[in-house]
Amino acid sequence: MQTASVTPDAISSVLSNPSFDSSSDRPEIVVQVVDLKPIGNRYTFGANDGKTKVKAMFTASLTPEIISGKIQNLCLIRLIDFTVNDISSKSTKYFLVTKCEAVGSVLDSEINLESKSQEEEEATTEPKRQKLEHSPVSDVKMDVSTGITLKPKQEFVSKSASQIMTEQRGNAAPAARMSMTRRVHPLVSLNPYQGNWTIKVRVTNKGVMRNYKNARGEGCVFNVELTDEEGTQIQATMFNDAARKFYDRFQLGKVYYISRGTLKLANKQFKTIQNDYEMTLNDNSEVEEASSEEMFIPETKFNFIPIEELGMYVNQKELIDLIGVVQSVSPTMSIRRRTDNEMIPKRDITLADESKKTVVVSLWNDLATGIGQELLDMADKSPVIAIKSLKVGDFQGVSLSTISRSNVVINPESPEAKKLKSWFDSEGKEVSMSSIGSGMSPLSKNGSRSMYTDRVLLSHITSNPSLGEEKPVFLSTRAYISFIKPDQTMWYQACKTCNKKVTEALDSGYWCEGCQKKYEECSLRYIMAVKVTDSSGETWISSFNDEAEKILGCSADELNKLRSEEGEVNEYQTKLKEATWSCHAFRVSVTQNEYNGEKRQRVTVKGVAPVDFAAETRLLLQDISNKTNNKASQLLF
Amino acid sequence: MDTSSPSAFVNGALLRRYIGQKVRTVIQVIGSDTGSVVGKSTDDLQIVVRGPSTTPPLTTYLEVIGIAESDNSIRAETWTNFGNTFDPQNYNELCKLASGEFKHLFI
Repeated sequence: MQTASVTPDAISSVLSNPSFDSSSDRPEIVVQVVDLKPIGNRYTFGANDGKTKVKAMFTASLTPEIISGKIQNLCLIRLIDFTVNDISSKSTKYFLVTKCEAVGSVLDSEINLESKSQEEEEATTEPKRQKLEHSPVSDVKMDVSTGITLKPKQEFVSKSASQIMTEQRGNAAPAARMSMTRRVHPLVSLNPYQGNWTIKVRVTNKGVMRNYKNARGEGCVFNVELTDEEGTQIQATMFNDAARKFYDRFQLGKVYYISRGTLKLANKQFKTIQNDYEMTLNDNSEVEEASSEEMFIPETKFNFIPIEELGMYVNQKELIDLIGVVQSVSPTMSIRRRTDNEMIPKRDITLADESKKTVVVSLWNDLATGIGQELLDMADKSPVIAIKSLKVGDFQGVSLSTISRSNVVINPESPEAKKLKSWFDSEGKEVSMSSIGSGMSPLSKNGSRSMYTDRVLLSHITSNPSLGEEKPVFLSTRAYISFIKPDQTMWYQACKTCNKKVTEALDSGYWCEGCQKKYEECSLRYIMAVKVTDSSGETWISSFNDEAEKILGCSADELNKLRSEEGEVNEYQTKLKEATWSCHAFRVSVTQNEYNGEKRQRVTVKGVAPVDFAAETRLLLQDISNKTNNKASQLLF
Repeated sequence: MDTSSPSAFVNGALLRRYIGQKVRTVIQVIGSDTGSVVGKSTDDLQIVVRGPSTTPPLTTYLEVIGIAESDNSIRAETWTNFGNTFDPQNYNELCKLASGEFKHLFI
């Protein structure tokens, strides 16, 4: 196996053949990067071929590769595209490199095909490019007139890394134990190509330990969110042994020195933290609590949105912060996560603010069980809570949900909290407030927007079997109900309080797992499969209670009564018939479900509205004009 | 459906193209007299409709099918109340398309 090295005499041959007009005529040469230095937003370096060194510069487009560590000082690069230019004031030439690629691994020192001086290597845990500041430059003088560097011949002694370490540090204890001499790297400088780093971070979020089962077996995993002094954040994940090892060691709010983790590009699908990379810690990683030291973590910055202004954030990607007085706290509910069938805890709290509006915030996972329980206990004191990073959804008009990086602070020490508390104490307590969601009827503002945005024909859904594979896709469509199977299980027994499925208790009554209570009665809620059709095709969709009620025009309890009625005319069948061949505007979500190992598309109704002919006509006119303007769009008739 | 004498969808501006021919249009009723109704076309021009001497109760919007007499009047054969909610812009666009590039689909 050949180890990469410089192309011998490359530089002198290039310099002596200036007649090459474009670098594409030149053979590709490999040189070593030495004396890498930033000048403004570009980097200059010396191109070394072992014998000759010439001044060189990377174009600004290559700066990111240097910052990311792909190109480092002392590494070898193959010059793919470069020109030889003159330095105007002098008669020297320099290489302007527009395209190159790193070759082989970063070397320890400057290549010297003749014995010349070696730069001594600082064999510490620093990333090599930090040598920019430290490398002794003094003995390398560029001879301006010839472009060839002459170095005085010196004794060449090769040292191993451990020899150098011992020389430098004598018999001092290894740096890992001495936090005073530990070199800490900013999170922003971490990259997959440089493994020797130590970071000092605070755990700003800690996930729960999750058990998983996939094709490769089972295991457990958890992750933590780490924040350093500069405010940069990164997610660190641990599996199996490492997870068990570090789960108890990592505590929320504490500061740790961490090294020997690996970095990789973050999976955009699951990313909630702003970092291109994510970290994995394994058994060899080091996690040490920084107990005796303070670390300044910048205070969480909030940007509060008044409840009455939440409307414009519905279903947007932007996360918002909220501050409000707690009106009520629900018991914990258990929701089944669609993706892996796992049960996760949820708790709903109602918050109010000076806009005299209320909103429901769903706390998930740890926030539901931890802080959520605290809030339940102190709910009668109407505490003020501030929440950072909430997702705004459209359930019941406007709904807020926590995500893994959401942060809840009870009774924060901030001027907004004080203002809110004094408002509440003086007038807020008594004043009647309305839910922000109730102002949003399905046909107004956000609702109507979603009935007419992302409009497709049914064929768009059926012709694309992998639609909704990664994340659910939300679409709207106008279609006819073509078939409702009369003998399907059209409803389930639901808890009257939380709507979750209840089981029949051995003695009379119903048991609700979510409320952990037994109830005398339950209600029936729809879970109905319906076939819909339009001019392009047909598909089955499932509809939950609210939408099914709108389609059928009666509640599940009522329909159940009709179903069991005897008589000549079966009212139940009539109701179904009446609903058949009615036209509606639907808002649907398309997801993928695995069923017996097969992937199946599942279309669920999220909203239903009567057909607004004027609005539909406008859509048609728009489409016609798009079509005649030769824009790519579907024609809806 | 009797397609023996099709009527062209017109608005105020298109009426003149079909003088002497059967047309149909929707107008917003401005005023009515014995035997005639004055209305605003979907493109905001005035149209007079001459019809039967007894004028039945009219809603805000009225569809008229008849012969175009001049560039702003129609002799009605049939008229239908179209109610009080109607989108005139949509109808206007329809008229333009029906007598423009999609004429072949209509007459």
